[in-house]
Amino acid sequence: MKYKIIDKDKLPGLLDAIIERYRVIAPVDTGKHFRLTEISSGEEADLGLQNTKLASKEILFPQTEVILRVRKGEEGLKAEEVSVEDRDWVLFGIRPCDAKGLTLIDEPFTSGEYEDTPYTDKRGKTSIVGLACIHPRATCFCTSLGGSPFGREGMDLQLVDLGEEYLMEILTEKGERLVEGVQGLRDASDDDIAKAERLSEEAEGAFKDKLSVEGLSEKLEGMFEDPIWDEIHLKCVGCGVCCFLCPTCTCFDILDEETATEVKRVRLWDTCQFTHFTLQGSGFNPRPSGKERMRQRIMHKFSYFPKEFGKLACVGCGRCVHECPVNLDIREIIKEIMSV
Amino acid sequence: MSNPYLPDFAVLRRITRENDANDIKTFEVVFEDPDLARSFRYIPGQFGMISYFGAGECPIGIASSPMDEGFLEFTIKKVGVVTAALHNCTEGDRIGVRGPYGNGWPIEAMEGRNVVLVGGGFAFTTLRSLVKYILHEDNRERFGDLTVIYGARSPGELSYKYDLNDWERRDDIDLILTVDKGDSGWTGNEGYVPTILKEAAPSSENAISAICGPPVMIRFSIPVLTELGFSPDDILLSLEMRMKCGIGKCGRCNVGSKFVCLDGPVFTHRELQGMPKEY
Repeated sequence: MKYKIIDKDKLPGLLDAIIERYRVIAPVDTGKHFRLTEISSGEEADLGLQNTKLASKEILFPQTEVILRVRKGEEGLKAEEVSVEDRDWVLFGIRPCDAKGLTLIDEPFTSGEYEDTPYTDKRGKTSIVGLACIHPRATCFCTSLGGSPFGREGMDLQLVDLGEEYLMEILTEKGERLVEGVQGLRDASDDDIAKAERLSEEAEGAFKDKLSVEGLSEKLEGMFEDPIWDEIHLKCVGCGVCCFLCPTCTCFDILDEETATEVKRVRLWDTCQFTHFTLQGSGFNPRPSGKERMRQRIMHKFSYFPKEFGKLACVGCGRCVHECPVNLDIREIIKEIMSV
Repeated sequence: MSNPYLPDFAVLRRITRENDANDIKTFEVVFEDPDLARSFRYIPGQFGMISYFGAGECPIGIASSPMDEGFLEFTIKKVGVVTAALHNCTEGDRIGVRGPYGNGWPIEAMEGRNVVLVGGGFAFTTLRSLVKYILHEDNRERFGDLTVIYGARSPGELSYKYDLNDWERRDDIDLILTVDKGDSGWTGNEGYVPTILKEAAPSSENAISAICGPPVMIRFSIPVLTELGFSPDDILLSLEMRMKCGIGKCGRCNVGSKFVCLDGPVFTHRELQGMPKEY
């Protein structure tokens, strides 16, 4: 493990040096919230965020994305794949929950016979620079799901805010390449590392009550017909914001957009919380009410996904809790399930 | 790795009207790439994702037999945006096809056994593929007796009349047709498929069955087959679900932890008994 130190005022310079070699996507304060945005100067990045409103998945799996173009030429239609920019990408300053979220969505996009190239083409060229959480939010519950405010999963490099400077922990070869030859770094002292460890313990300590998810997946397997589903969904208005903001939700729709010169095949975020999601051409809908749709969301995260990939599909970022218009709290749902 | 969403271009060589209502047509499709047209292999029961560029893409079961070389057939009912666009096509128009997807009917499990097929309405498509496959001279002796019970609302709604005429004349298939309500020219059975199935009472001795049809027909046919002695392992069903990708990514065709596009669409009744009733 390699530790470096960079003074905070030197960070823009470091980013500028990285921008020369990489496409850098970093948190930017939009005035309303923080959002991951491609930056052309290190000054644009703002690491003063609690978290970005949208999960980092939006960069590798954007809300709308052209996955195919069909040109209308003189010789008729001609299909073209959409190519990704040559330069490597860096997601700079993302939180541990989001870095872990990417490792989770890697599973469905890469597993099985079919690799989702619109995702993997970008993913393969992306390095992740994480930013440890000194002050977790009240809606955060990563520690209940095996994560931590200083978690390193999915990162190539992690920054820890020590006050006047950042401790930089280089975790992979990709992380090493990122800062190779960059000016302004110095070796970290034992005191710096000890300070980071202290901050990590303090951050962990900020989580008051830890949820129990021990045996949750196994329990849910026998709960498909449980009366709990009759109640849990009643407050839900089916807006789907929980899924759109979720770092691990990857359901999508595909549709065509036609212009005079081409047809664009676009994929866009969709959610199991919408009525039309499973509506069949015949008019039959296997998930006709909020009950079935809420059950699908919870079952997918805590039963189906773990069954397929061995991991719970929730990182505890708390976005769905924070942004739900009717204050539905997934932590309460988990508690209710565990108490059945 | 190439983009799995990239379809291959194909030409609609022939479009056949299938029913009186004229909302079901069979599209004979030929890949533009001659190598692909020759090499494309599939199993009865699999499906393709069909594109009409500008309207979108949808999953359609393959209705032709793998023994039909050089072309594919898809029987499509006009119900939505993509299928309406396809119904507006004329012969020679270009579409996109990707696939084949799904597991298909378990041919090997059927070999050496009597086969009972139960179909209703236009969902008969992939069973038609299976019938044509079994009846092919290269394959016929690998299977036992073949009983096909096929029903529709009215005589004019039965698809594949050209095949049905041919099958009725053959002695290596027992074809039982039925309609909910006949017309003046109809001399065959009248009644719902499960009722006719019960009357026909095909033996379950060394037999395997497959059902494809509307949910209500499936629901009432399973108990009949069970009563006839078919075990849950020997009742096969093909599920229908809304799909966007066909390759297990878009997240909407799951029944429990199974994806209909990858793990299905064909499941045994035994498998379905262990899955949530959400289909």
